[in-house]
Amino acid sequence: MVLEIIGARLLATSFGGAFYVWVSQIGVIMLALAIGYYVGGRLADRFASPSLIGYLLLLAGCFTALIPNFATSLANMIVDRHPIGKDIPLIWQKLDPAFGSAMIFLLPCIVLGMVCPYMIRLATSRISEVGKVSGLIYAASTIGSIVGVFVSGYVLIDRMPISRIFRLAGIMTMILGLMCILGGHLRHTLEDNT
Amino acid sequence: MKRLGPILVLLGILSYSSAIQASQTVFQTTSAYHNIKVVDEDGMRYLYFDNTTESRMSLDNPLEGHFEYIEYFHMPWLLGQEIRTVVMLGLGGGSIQKAVEHYYPDVNIITVELDPKVVDVAKEYFHVRPSARHRIVIEDGRIFLRRSQQRFDLIIIDAYTANRYGSYIPYTLVTKEFFELVKQRLNPGGIMAYNVIGSIYGGSEDIVTVMYKTIKTTFKQVYLFPASTSRNVVLIAVDTDEPVDTTQLAKKAESLMAGKDRSYPGLLTRLKNLRTGAPLGTSRARILTDDFAPIDGLLKAE
Repeated sequence: MVLEIIGARLLATSFGGAFYVWVSQIGVIMLALAIGYYVGGRLADRFASPSLIGYLLLLAGCFTALIPNFATSLANMIVDRHPIGKDIPLIWQKLDPAFGSAMIFLLPCIVLGMVCPYMIRLATSRISEVGKVSGLIYAASTIGSIVGVFVSGYVLIDRMPISRIFRLAGIMTMILGLMCILGGHLRHTLEDNT
Repeated sequence: MKRLGPILVLLGILSYSSAIQASQTVFQTTSAYHNIKVVDEDGMRYLYFDNTTESRMSLDNPLEGHFEYIEYFHMPWLLGQEIRTVVMLGLGGGSIQKAVEHYYPDVNIITVELDPKVVDVAKEYFHVRPSARHRIVIEDGRIFLRRSQQRFDLIIIDAYTANRYGSYIPYTLVTKEFFELVKQRLNPGGIMAYNVIGSIYGGSEDIVTVMYKTIKTTFKQVYLFPASTSRNVVLIAVDTDEPVDTTQLAKKAESLMAGKDRSYPGLLTRLKNLRTGAPLGTSRARILTDDFAPIDGLLKAE
């Protein structure tokens, strides 16, 4: 959600203050989460170890931290492909921001979406607990999203450059990834010992 | 005398009800950005976005009835060289466009407005007429300037909206990177005129001070015209080495008004509000950039 709020701000320098920037940002993030939930669930069944999601998170974190380095020029490229001297057709005024946010936010947000089903798979050992565990994980993830929205919209934007917010979000994702990898190794060694 | 009481009450009711009738909503619509309302009241036509007044026009004469700050947009004709091409970001009720078309017959205008419904309303209810001299483009102002290959003599920015919590200004139109873009799109000696809602005495946290300092990073001269009747301050920026000489400006105003058959009559009066110094607290104010522009916290409600 931090990526969603701050991202809309980032896109506005290239795509303008249009309403469509918000529409596309929200739409693209939801799409990414849907893909992430689906793929994450499948992967979790096949590789029930936190290592894989750990590496993916590490990658997504790197990507997020680098967003300020490439996002603006990428978004400008999308706008600048229209012939100069002619007005941009309304349909592209609407769709361009969606392409822009897809190219920038789709990948990291898919990976972040994979975390939830993965955690449900790893945290449940008995079928009788699935309801409780998945409810807990969904609640925790949604509370995290709420905090992300308010903290970035009310506090971060007024106090921190956008680039630093991306770096921080990226670093936090990487730390989460490292923790998963570490957890995976620990589990392996524990399993080997028993 | 006893009978007068009820008559007075009746008169009161009558005048009250006629006052209600005098205020009439002519048109109302909701766009992607605003709730737009056109209201006629006491011979004036008002444009509202989300219940705050954006524009005012006399119903008898579309050139009259505008707000005071609009008149400071005539100052570039005093400060700069000859002006032939004007770009205006933000349409509203088109007060500036109508004045420029009327008083400067050899000037061409391009208006850039984001909201197509605002354009429809301005055409239908505020006598804004696109023509060979006045082109209206529906686009974001910053994107328009970035994609444009032309250079202009004057760029006017009045893309404010306000609501009951204070003013709202798109953050992409207040950063150092934006002002560099404006300078690129200006002819040498070209002028930028910017309407800001705030105060020159607001200190380092006021939007006027912050914008003054940010514009100063790109333009050598920045002049302030605080309106007397509202919180609008018009900032005028020129990238010339020589600061302006106030007595010379007055002389130029007089000659302009005497020489032309059609020239804006209020030039001299409005010139009196010119402030050449920096607003209070400029040294402590921050500079806004694309990366860090916390303006949402700066725009205070009155």
